[in-house]
Amino acid sequence: MPVWDVFGKRKLGDEFELVGGIKAPDVEMALVLAKETHFRHKEGVAYAVRRRGDDELHEGTYHGDVLGGLTDHSYRRQEAYTGVGAKHKRVGKLLAERGMVIDRPRPPVGRSPVGKRADPRDALPQKIHELTPEEIASQGTGG
Amino acid sequence: MGSMTYDQKVAEFKARIDAGDKIEGGDWMPDEYRQAALKFIEMHANSEVMGAIPEGTWVPRAPTLKRKLSLTAKVQDEVGHGQILYRVAEDLGKTREQMFDDLVNGRTKFHNVFHYPAETWGDVAYIGWLIDGAALVNQKALLDASYMPYVRAMRRICPEESLHLRHGEELVLELVSGTKEQRELFQDAVNRWWQPTMHFFGPPSKKKDMLLYWGIKTRTNESLRQEFFSTYVPKLWDLGISVPDDKLAWNEDKGEWDWSEPDWDEFWKVVRGDGPMTQVRLAKRKTVWDTHAWIREVFAGIQDAA
Repeated sequence: MPVWDVFGKRKLGDEFELVGGIKAPDVEMALVLAKETHFRHKEGVAYAVRRRGDDELHEGTYHGDVLGGLTDHSYRRQEAYTGVGAKHKRVGKLLAERGMVIDRPRPPVGRSPVGKRADPRDALPQKIHELTPEEIASQGTGG
Repeated sequence: MGSMTYDQKVAEFKARIDAGDKIEGGDWMPDEYRQAALKFIEMHANSEVMGAIPEGTWVPRAPTLKRKLSLTAKVQDEVGHGQILYRVAEDLGKTREQMFDDLVNGRTKFHNVFHYPAETWGDVAYIGWLIDGAALVNQKALLDASYMPYVRAMRRICPEESLHLRHGEELVLELVSGTKEQRELFQDAVNRWWQPTMHFFGPPSKKKDMLLYWGIKTRTNESLRQEFFSTYVPKLWDLGISVPDDKLAWNEDKGEWDWSEPDWDEFWKVVRGDGPMTQVRLAKRKTVWDTHAWIREVFAGIQDAA
């Protein structure tokens, strides 16, 4: 199955930028999959695919506001949750008035929670066979 | 580079990693780097598609149309993340078919948290806010990984995880500001999910760590767990929700959180494939893989006809 690189423009006037890839049997299906996997949430105003190894760029027919759909799918985007942070503060305040907040030692306000980047020079290599499937699953990622 | 020995090429490549360079898919790379990146990204992809199941089972039972729509969209996103990540992994030398076959037959693994049942709507709220929150802590750190195609995938995935987190946080706020029963529903979810969440970050990283050595991961497990504590535990306490760890508290002298090590035997048992829902979920994925074989055949047919 051919591999197609997927390109997108975040806003009008941008150049196409590589954003990922998909596999599809032909250009028609490649454009469908590219749109569904990479531009479902209003991530850009134009998209295109290029078969790996070819030069020709195939632009998708959905542009601007139409890309990502015109019906109200705002629940797919951050804007649907504007105000959740403020609501959290409001609920917290209400619960504090009821004396329900748990008072335990916590980091000072304003202290960044982000830790330091690990220096690859500090780690020692392993043999690839030591990286068992279980070992790999003990390294946090996502889901 | 043609006249260099393999060891010289590896040394040069390692120097690029140490200097913070990014590696593109078409670049020369040592086989051990390629294999380590493949294994890591494959497990990440597996976890995305397996992670869609616990919440997917709640789509028909969501309490309102709004919640049903947003939960459906989230489940679609998670499966989409799997699609994107399997594509990145494929370029490292293993077909998607082989990766899926290894997953459904238990030869490769997926994250511990997706081996547990989602028993109540409180669990859906917990997963949306705090499992996605934990995942986002991990995935944001991967935005600076050494393998550029993976970084691009993370740039696509992180904003969606951030949206999922807001969706989950809103569910939590609704429960904790509701009736006594609603608050208890969420507290019960926290009590059951806390240990799996601690497990999610893995045991403290060792000095010998191939993923850190090659810059495929950029932070130690412990550093990520500490970030999770600092980001979410004060928020839980502000909502009057306790965490089932009496020792958990910020230690100002050490500049980090004190916490109780969980039962790591339970963790290893689960990731090996002996979790409460492991077999049920793998069987579900295997059934779909087998019954949808015709779609893959149709796709292959289009290619043959072209």
